[in-house]
Amino acid sequence: MSLIYRIKKSQPGITHGINDYLGEMRPFVKRVKKPHLVIPLLFLKTIEWSIYRWYKTPIRRFYGVKGNELIYMITNACNDRCPKCGIWERPEPQSQHLMVSHFIKCLNRLHHNLYQVTLTGGEPLIFKKDVMLIAEEAKKLSVPMVIVTNGRFLDEAFLNRYKELGHILVISVDSIEEGKWNEFRGRKNFHIVMPKIMLAKQILGDNLRIQSVLAKESAEEIPKVIAFCKQHNIQHNIQFNQDFGGNWKNAMPDIVDYNNDTPCAARKNICIYPNGDVVKCFDHRRIPLAKEPLGNIAKQDIIEILCTKRSTEISKIMKTCNLPCKNMSCNKPQSLLFN
Amino acid sequence: MSALIIPCYIKSQWDIECLNRLLDSVQKQSQAFEKVFVVDDASPLRYSVTHSFVDLLVVPNNAGPASARNIGINKALSLGINHLLFTDHDCILDSRWNECMTYFLDQTNFAAVGGMTYSWGKTLLDYYHDINGTLAGKWLLPDKKELWYMPSLNFGMKAFAAEEFPFDERFPTAAGEDVDLCLRLRSKYKIGFCPEAKLWHDYGYKNSITGFRKFMELFKKYKSSSATVYEGHTVLMWDSSESIYKGNMHEPHLQD
Repeated sequence: MSLIYRIKKSQPGITHGINDYLGEMRPFVKRVKKPHLVIPLLFLKTIEWSIYRWYKTPIRRFYGVKGNELIYMITNACNDRCPKCGIWERPEPQSQHLMVSHFIKCLNRLHHNLYQVTLTGGEPLIFKKDVMLIAEEAKKLSVPMVIVTNGRFLDEAFLNRYKELGHILVISVDSIEEGKWNEFRGRKNFHIVMPKIMLAKQILGDNLRIQSVLAKESAEEIPKVIAFCKQHNIQHNIQFNQDFGGNWKNAMPDIVDYNNDTPCAARKNICIYPNGDVVKCFDHRRIPLAKEPLGNIAKQDIIEILCTKRSTEISKIMKTCNLPCKNMSCNKPQSLLFN
Repeated sequence: MSALIIPCYIKSQWDIECLNRLLDSVQKQSQAFEKVFVVDDASPLRYSVTHSFVDLLVVPNNAGPASARNIGINKALSLGINHLLFTDHDCILDSRWNECMTYFLDQTNFAAVGGMTYSWGKTLLDYYHDINGTLAGKWLLPDKKELWYMPSLNFGMKAFAAEEFPFDERFPTAAGEDVDLCLRLRSKYKIGFCPEAKLWHDYGYKNSITGFRKFMELFKKYKSSSATVYEGHTVLMWDSSESIYKGNMHEPHLQD
């Protein structure tokens, strides 16, 4: 049984193993009332613990007890018109937009399990008030939060409050050349957004990240974005191009190997669509059993939804579904994403 | 009204002796079962059941204990039974087991119940299982007012819960299928603990030396299935729990 990702130095190592062992043994020894049996019973418990360690699943080894990421696509609507993405072409009608209270209830139900809540879109900051309500609630529940935004609606008041909450902001940047920027975003807003990125860096410091999509169209631009990030000491991540209904092409196979053997860890994910539909992955529908969503958080309790037989079966299928979306950021923990 | 469902896969003389011993203890219950279903999962060994109160259901092809229990569940539900209780052929019931389990389900709002399980043998390995709580279920922490899970050898469900949450037949062996059921069931209902409903489980150790290999195999079987459960379940799997043993079986305000 191999780990999904290579263990880096920052990942739990021998100390974690020792703590796990002692955490099992200490309460067990207290149960033994006959002193002369402590050593043989401890030996047996050690054997059980070793078997348990051997069969511990990679996902649990890697993510620990807080094993889930809650990802909320708060809206399809977007103020940019990026050709890489077609989500903005299908904004949800107002009547179908989930009330924020339903999402907050869902967050409250799941927070013990969550290592992170992520807000994405569309452009999440179109619903800036809702985003801030969620950020406040996440802080209250001690769940780290990440927003992925195009940066257009950032302002000083929002950033200052966001900084106080200690969450992470990710801005999508695929080029730092004005011409390419405007082409990639379908809007001439280079001179509006770039100062906002600098403002975000000034206020958020290390909690600002930049993410770029690597496609055939952006391949020449990405090194410049990386250099920009290095210059301004901003952590950067590359996400491989995915089919979001846009017309960008995947980067050449010699640059990106889409068909690798990475198993999908996205079964740890709990994804919510703008209307409250629940899926385990936004590319769910490619799995025949998952064509329909698992449920809707406006109508059902999230725990009930996730414990259905169909949900558990889909989670198992996802491990080996081998779809290209397994290369996305949601298949990796934040600690391995940005550098 | 309660029915007892016993899945069986008889492959040795020892298994036959176990089954007869269990049925003897069923006969001595202070409160009789309405129905006792022994579901034979295409056992390789031929045997006969001499206890007249038993309904023997023989499955033509081996499909695992989850499937065998579901056959018993369907049969019991079709007869309008209120409480469905489960045990294994290598267990021995206390004479009040049915009375306590049924009373608990009648008197509380819990949709399912687990009882207290002890080791039958007297070896060091049996003692280990007793204090480890290997097959005694787990408390849901921090309150210890309900169970995280209870093994299917000492388990009961109200009819509506069994109808809504049958065993998942994709689990091929007697490992993990009960954890999976409890996790699904807990998404909607609670599992209570009834320490008075006692039974003994025979692990089959002749002594601690010769039984050691069996001990290893047992944990390997249980732990290998846990990966399957982890992969499927997104939530609830991660709730804190503590195994039950004699020293923590009585908790204050247990039935609040």
